[in-house]
Amino acid sequence: MKLLAATNRYYLALAAVLFAVGSGALYVGVNHVLRHEVGEQLAVRRHEIEQQVRAGRPLPEPPFESGLDVRAGPQPLGFSDMLLRDTLEHESVPHRQLTFVVRPAAGPPVWVTVRKSLVETDDLVRVILTTMLGVLAALLGGAALLNRWLAGRLWAPFQHTLGALRSYDLQQHQPLALPTPAIAEFAELNLALTHLSQRLVADYENLREFTANAAHETQTPLAIMQAQLEQLLQLPALEHDPAAAPLLAELYGATRRLSRLHQALGLLSRIENRQFAAAAPVRLNELLAEKSQQLGPLLEARGLALHLRAPAGPVVHMHPGLADSLVHNLLHNAIKHNEPGGDVTAVLTSNYLEISNPGANPGGDPARFFERFRKHRATADSPGLGLSIVQQIGAYYGFGVSYTFEPVGRRHVLRVQFAPPPAP
Amino acid sequence: MKLLLVEDEPALRAVLLESLRPGGYVVEVAADFAQAYEKIKLYRYDCVLLDLTLPDGNGLDLVRALKADNSPAGVLIFTARDTLEDRIAGLDLGADDYLVKPFHLSELNARLRAIIRRRQFQGQHHIVFRDLLVWPEQAEVLVRGEPLMLTRKEYDLLLYLLANPDRVLTKEAIAEHLCGDAVDAADSFDFIYTHFKNLRKKLQEKGADNYIRTMYGVGYKLSSE
Repeated sequence: MKLLAATNRYYLALAAVLFAVGSGALYVGVNHVLRHEVGEQLAVRRHEIEQQVRAGRPLPEPPFESGLDVRAGPQPLGFSDMLLRDTLEHESVPHRQLTFVVRPAAGPPVWVTVRKSLVETDDLVRVILTTMLGVLAALLGGAALLNRWLAGRLWAPFQHTLGALRSYDLQQHQPLALPTPAIAEFAELNLALTHLSQRLVADYENLREFTANAAHETQTPLAIMQAQLEQLLQLPALEHDPAAAPLLAELYGATRRLSRLHQALGLLSRIENRQFAAAAPVRLNELLAEKSQQLGPLLEARGLALHLRAPAGPVVHMHPGLADSLVHNLLHNAIKHNEPGGDVTAVLTSNYLEISNPGANPGGDPARFFERFRKHRATADSPGLGLSIVQQIGAYYGFGVSYTFEPVGRRHVLRVQFAPPPAP
Repeated sequence: MKLLLVEDEPALRAVLLESLRPGGYVVEVAADFAQAYEKIKLYRYDCVLLDLTLPDGNGLDLVRALKADNSPAGVLIFTARDTLEDRIAGLDLGADDYLVKPFHLSELNARLRAIIRRRQFQGQHHIVFRDLLVWPEQAEVLVRGEPLMLTRKEYDLLLYLLANPDRVLTKEAIAEHLCGDAVDAADSFDFIYTHFKNLRKKLQEKGADNYIRTMYGVGYKLSSE
């Protein structure tokens, strides 16, 4: 729930409760006052009648049937309410009545009841209540609307900041550029966020530079190590020592792995650095054919069939090196995580390149396969950077890279969508 | 065959020198740009092996100088800079090949031989090794005059072996030579094994026995005895 909606809800609840209590109080209050007034009028009337009787005059004739009632028998004394039938309107009309005893100078005492219709007071209450409730309701609704409108206005800078944060991409190497809104809290927030992003960018730059330098600077010592190990392997003495040679070979293999890791990291870092500005038209179908030929021995060794469905195919504008790396990593990945006797199927259309292969359900979150150093098997020799590179290249050119596992036929499907898919 | 090796890192220079000498080359070395510049201005080389990042200059300027002098020398660049731009810049200037550090010495040997073959004999150079005669231009292999039918990969493999006779070639180096740089070593051993088996069998059928030796756990070696 939005903060504004939440506070609004509380305000509205409070107002509604006040509204209900207020309506009740108003009704009771007005009703009480009016009945009291009617009571007073009846008391005055009683006083008049008593005076009249005391003065020896006869009881007044009732002007209306309902106004005055004189009875010889005892009646309950005091105020009470009753309904009388209005013969004209044919409905029961509430009346307030006051019964008292008068003792005329001659004759027995009589019980006199004076009545007053409450119909007028009912109307009055209704008018008062309607007016008051209407005003209150308008106030309530107005407050809600005003709140909503104000919320939209006042929180606009916050929404803007939020939007900027959401679309913020550290790899653009730009700190956030947030305006300073008039409202102090938001201005402070924006200032703090701007500082934060500046620090982030600086740290990120440092890290990137370090990675790039480290990757570059370690190549030379690695080259020395590798070359010397290779020379060591040539020693004739090794031919007579079956234990030493494999040790050396393993060392040698490890330096190769290290240098491959460096190359992959260096490539990732350069993609993130956006160092691949030059783009050229790349014919993906030709590239696919070339790469599959290069990886032919691997396919052959594993007994994998390759199905290339790449007609003339699209021409994509990419850096040729990155296109090469993209296709290579996709194919290599499909070969590596395949089943014996399986196949690698590459489908190229003008919209996407899809490479699929059979395999066991990997389980887990597909999004995580693109993480760096994410390995299929913990002991695998590869550093697990292939799909990270694919994804980085995709992100660089705005391609959508997605992985799905199709339970039917148990196939891993990696798809690179060149253009955003048309809206369904 | 006279080579100039330009490399500023002493350890790497030494090991490169050591690996090149058995090939029968005369190798001179230069440790920096100034030395190298002087040498290429003074002497003629068949091939210059060149590191691009030098303490006092850019190796690409040496390529420019060689080309400006119309030098017939081949140029093999090796560098830690592996961006495509660097590669293209080097090759555009007229370098013959480009290797990214760290590289296999056997790969360097193979590429160096290819450059020298192209430069000196316009490709019309044959390689003789024991009973083998190879015409690289026609991709033709003869064993005692009889043609040997090889697949493309087997032929590449043989050529690679011939460029490094009597040298232990690691499985990694062979796999990368055949399949390109980025192949995981672990992936590739099984396919190398198959190719070697086939190549050996074909050589054996023609009576060329015991040319390829397996170095257990390490790799293979083309033996001249």
